[in-house]
Amino acid sequence: MGPPKRSGYKADRASRKRKKEEEETWAADEEEATADGEEAAVPNAAARDAEKSDEKVQEDEFGAKDYRLQMELKPDNASRPLWVAPNGHIFLESFSPVYKHAHDFLIAISEPVCRPEHIHEYKLTAYSLYAAVSVGLQTNDIVEYLKRLSKTTVPEGIIEFIRLCTLSYGKVKLVLKHNKYFVESPFPEILQKLLKDPVIQECRLRRNVEGDAEDEMITQVQEKKNIPSFGAKPGPSTEAGAEATNVPDDITNFYEKMDNEDEEDEANLQTVSFEVNQEKIEVIQKRCIELEHPLLAEYDFRNDTVNPDINIDLRPSAVLRPYQEKSLRKMFGNGRARSGVIVLPCGAGKSLVGVTACCTVRKRALLLCNSGVSVEQWKQQFKMWSTADDSMICRFTSEAKDKPMGCSVLVTTYSMITHTQKRSWEAEQTMKWLQEQEWGIMVLDEVHTIPAKMFRRVLTIVQSHCKLGLTATLLREDDKIADLNFLIGPKLYEANWLELQKKGFIARVQCAEVWCPMTPEFYREYLVCKTSKRLLLYVMNPQKFQATQYLIRYHERRGDKTIVFSDNVFALKHYAIKMNKPYIYGPTTQSERIQILQNFKFNPKVNTIFVSKVADTSFDLPEANVLIQISSHGGSRRQEAQRLGRILRAKKGAIAEEYNAFFYTLVSQDTMEMNYSRKRQRFLVNQGYSYKVITKLAGMDKEPDMMYKTREEQGQLLQQVLAASDIDCEDERMPGEGGPRGGPGNRRSGHLGSMSGADDAVYYEFRKTANTNKHPLFKKFRY
Amino acid sequence: MANNGIGSSKQDNSSLITQTNLECKNLYEYLKNQPQNVLDRLYIHPAICLAVYRELPELARQYVIRILFVEQPVPQAVVASWGSQASSKEHNYVTKVLTDLNVWIEDSLPGGLIGWMLSPTFKKNLKAALLGGGKPWSMSSALDADKNARDVGFLDSYSSERWECVLHYMVGSQQQEGISADAVRILLHAGLMKRDEEDGSPVITRQGFQFLLLDRHAQVWHFLLQYLDTVQQRGLDLVECLTFLFQLSFSTLGKDYSTEGLSPGLLIFLQHLREFGLVYQRKRKAGRFYPTRLALNITNSQNKNAPILEEDSPKGYIVVETNYRVYAYTDSNLQVALIALFTELMYRFPNLVVGVITRDSIRQALRGGITADQIIGYLKQHAHERMLTADTKQPLPPTVVDQIKLWELERNRLTYNEGVLYSQFLSQADFNVLKEYAQSNGVLIWCNKEKRTLVINKNAHDDVKKFWKKYSKGS
Repeated sequence: MGPPKRSGYKADRASRKRKKEEEETWAADEEEATADGEEAAVPNAAARDAEKSDEKVQEDEFGAKDYRLQMELKPDNASRPLWVAPNGHIFLESFSPVYKHAHDFLIAISEPVCRPEHIHEYKLTAYSLYAAVSVGLQTNDIVEYLKRLSKTTVPEGIIEFIRLCTLSYGKVKLVLKHNKYFVESPFPEILQKLLKDPVIQECRLRRNVEGDAEDEMITQVQEKKNIPSFGAKPGPSTEAGAEATNVPDDITNFYEKMDNEDEEDEANLQTVSFEVNQEKIEVIQKRCIELEHPLLAEYDFRNDTVNPDINIDLRPSAVLRPYQEKSLRKMFGNGRARSGVIVLPCGAGKSLVGVTACCTVRKRALLLCNSGVSVEQWKQQFKMWSTADDSMICRFTSEAKDKPMGCSVLVTTYSMITHTQKRSWEAEQTMKWLQEQEWGIMVLDEVHTIPAKMFRRVLTIVQSHCKLGLTATLLREDDKIADLNFLIGPKLYEANWLELQKKGFIARVQCAEVWCPMTPEFYREYLVCKTSKRLLLYVMNPQKFQATQYLIRYHERRGDKTIVFSDNVFALKHYAIKMNKPYIYGPTTQSERIQILQNFKFNPKVNTIFVSKVADTSFDLPEANVLIQISSHGGSRRQEAQRLGRILRAKKGAIAEEYNAFFYTLVSQDTMEMNYSRKRQRFLVNQGYSYKVITKLAGMDKEPDMMYKTREEQGQLLQQVLAASDIDCEDERMPGEGGPRGGPGNRRSGHLGSMSGADDAVYYEFRKTANTNKHPLFKKFRY
Repeated sequence: MANNGIGSSKQDNSSLITQTNLECKNLYEYLKNQPQNVLDRLYIHPAICLAVYRELPELARQYVIRILFVEQPVPQAVVASWGSQASSKEHNYVTKVLTDLNVWIEDSLPGGLIGWMLSPTFKKNLKAALLGGGKPWSMSSALDADKNARDVGFLDSYSSERWECVLHYMVGSQQQEGISADAVRILLHAGLMKRDEEDGSPVITRQGFQFLLLDRHAQVWHFLLQYLDTVQQRGLDLVECLTFLFQLSFSTLGKDYSTEGLSPGLLIFLQHLREFGLVYQRKRKAGRFYPTRLALNITNSQNKNAPILEEDSPKGYIVVETNYRVYAYTDSNLQVALIALFTELMYRFPNLVVGVITRDSIRQALRGGITADQIIGYLKQHAHERMLTADTKQPLPPTVVDQIKLWELERNRLTYNEGVLYSQFLSQADFNVLKEYAQSNGVLIWCNKEKRTLVINKNAHDDVKKFWKKYSKGS
């Protein structure tokens, strides 16, 4: 096969241009540049970073930070599970008898850093504490419980940090009641303070124009509310009696208290509130953030009489798993709907959480995802789990335009909503209708992919009472993930991958990194050639080709279903055509994709497909259990996790085996790929996955008819690679990714480093030296 | 005319290939290098005979017992016939051991046959050791009850404290009280430390690192062997010291022994042992001493899992995670220092150290002369009990083990070939002829056409040289 002609490729693109612009596989991420003035406002408290608080700590002779002087070991430390470092890092023993208590607590107040088998690391950040407060934890409870769980005394600095970060948070809520916005708080003095601010005064809406006392506020007593229950419960939990023996009393007592608090503290609570002008919501939100009292958005959907209820319920067959229920509990904890993000691994049933949330709110729901294929899949999910039928669920994409007006559940893509070019008349009408609606709940699938700019556009177009973000990897190489805290809401829940795997909710995956030595000829070229060709050289390494071929054959014999990922289109086509397998990449039409996927699902003759990065997210392929990665997007941890997610769905009937899914990454030895691969793995390694390094595939030598075995064949391959054009060397580019679309000039603009994620490294350097005028949002919080 | 086409430059890279590793001798290896008269003097003492006997391979012990009461040489053929043909290799090894140790000696039988006979001193004293009789061993315990009697727990903590002093000194941690110049001299002599080239202060060597990662038992034995090497320079009698050491190893833990009757040399030796924690003495002139666990069964170095030392070594305290994190439940400076040899430490809590194994940290350890196996061995040996109860049943995550090994292999990517360089050919044709000749014989290692140089396998040098001589004569 020769290199594809560039002109042909361009024509191909042009013909599809219009379609792609309207929708499809929109996956911009790292390259997104934040326009000036677009940065989200952040309260000062959020800019605090516990990491700095231990800078003056002395290092011991081995270069470790020595905290021994700052803390005292408690005599009963063996039965307490954690250490709290003065810089906000928390270490938790997973084998402690009080692990369960501590784990729930830490998930609420801190970010997990890594959770392998024995000792987990968490980190307190301003955002995580913000989230803790917003789900109803009180400052004193946090401090007190942390003290009790800790093996040592808790450093003063940390207590101070918690106080600072939590005191101002979560005290004021923005509530939508009877379709009017109220600013509500149980603390009258804080509202008084806010009302003294001229900007907020302007936003206030006064009904009684007669002008009584300026500061009169609406006082009300809230009755106790029931927590909605979700679907059929999987029977009483079997925790009772399992309580370990040597748990210090203070821990258990306190835990019970905290556990019940969620339900109780809302009972008969007196709150004060004032009404806000609906047009000025943005303004007041921003102002409140500046005043260090960010508004928490809550939706009192029970008492919303203006928006009609929709007739949708969970099917009785829909059973929520414990962690799904727990995550929803956080969302609907006090009988209202909180906005926020729920993080569950791929394949752990995010869609059921989304569907259940919609069924709980029972108002008009809008669902946003990032590709046409996943629109279809969401519709399927709704039909499977809920009582909604075709008449209630509508898709709004460029291909399928069910008449969405007046429907109850609308499923569409991000790009469809934010599309700025001319639309068809029909779409125009739909958009108009969509904008006029007041949506009860907006579910944002794969929320990590949307950059702030795009997201803000969605928010200005769509009015919704509550927003639920769903993702598997709350992770971006550019750290912009923190934006989500203020655009959607705090992270409500994050599941532990390893635990779900142990309980069989997701597949047990054996991760392996296969080292393929470069052939001398390829390596020579690799060393001398210019950078952009290098990528192609290490992807097209004949040894790698053979390893791929061998692995595919091996797993086909086992009866497995294999997906092969390649970001590089040249390699994708070459591999697929040479091995005679179907492939999907950007330009593949929707119908062709569905046809290939259907065949992969049901046709026993099609056991292997090749896909480009279009399949990274939300391609639901429950059958696949082997994944081979031959080329990838540089050092992107997220891509690695997303790809793993393709095979994570729990496999039926294979529980007996130690592993029931396989994830191979093929890397050419001694090339840049090795570094990228190490970087990519960091996220999963922190989740407790381990990569086995395979330096030699046993039995590969004996395999007959391997391709590119002889020198001549390898030489020919090398010639092809060297003749390939520059465009072939690059990863596939997605429409909508970075800068204005189209235009070959634009396509050439990035160098290999930026294609492959090396920008990331530069970025770190940059922040170290010149981060003084960086916005606090972009300072590191998580790493 | 081709001139001196052969400029041979032999590259000696054997030093690059083989790095000297810590040599850990066992008793056999130590004794076999001793001159015969020393051995004979040693065998005068039943304690030593017993110790040597216990350290012999099983087959050798069998032989010794069989001929112990035979008063004449046993023909070699007869001895060989005791074992089956299949184990003749073992038989050969065992005969060598017995000869090396001078346990038995060759003697000719009346009929001209050559036979084996136990060396008379060894025979006599082994009998005494096994059957009793003879003089009492010089270490008597005929003493009044000590009013400051020490129990086993005290002795254990004393001995480990003393021993760790030595180790602390080696890792150079600040806590370095109570190590004498003598001990330093031994460390230097043993090559475990060397004088820094700049300021002359002792610094640890690669052997020293390896020494640190050994288990306690092996450390003591190795250290004592090195000490014994220097005994003669101190004017002490090697045989006397060895004898005392062996007697010590047969003593009872928690019992006190009298110093009475010990020669002045032995009293000095005793003070040295006291410094390393092998014996406990309340005062220098206390007149009595207690052997500690370190001194017991000292020769028993082959038996890796000597149960008697188990209590002495601390419980497993290291947790290694799949993400290369290392958590060590310890507050001992020594243990932290050891872990710091191959991990990057991050935080220290009162009872926990947090570190991470990185490529750099491992490479640094490798550069320092520690091998991957030693690191893995150390981590395994001290793995936290949690690690052992995990479902995988492996004390360490296999990926981490693999990775550490891969990092070590990474350093050994070069393969060395000894070769002879041929250069300064007068013409391209000459060069080609020789190159083709070498190529066809498969002895060409490397060649460069432009510079007309080639490297030929060293073993083939003579052959190629011959060919070249013939060729240049012919042209």
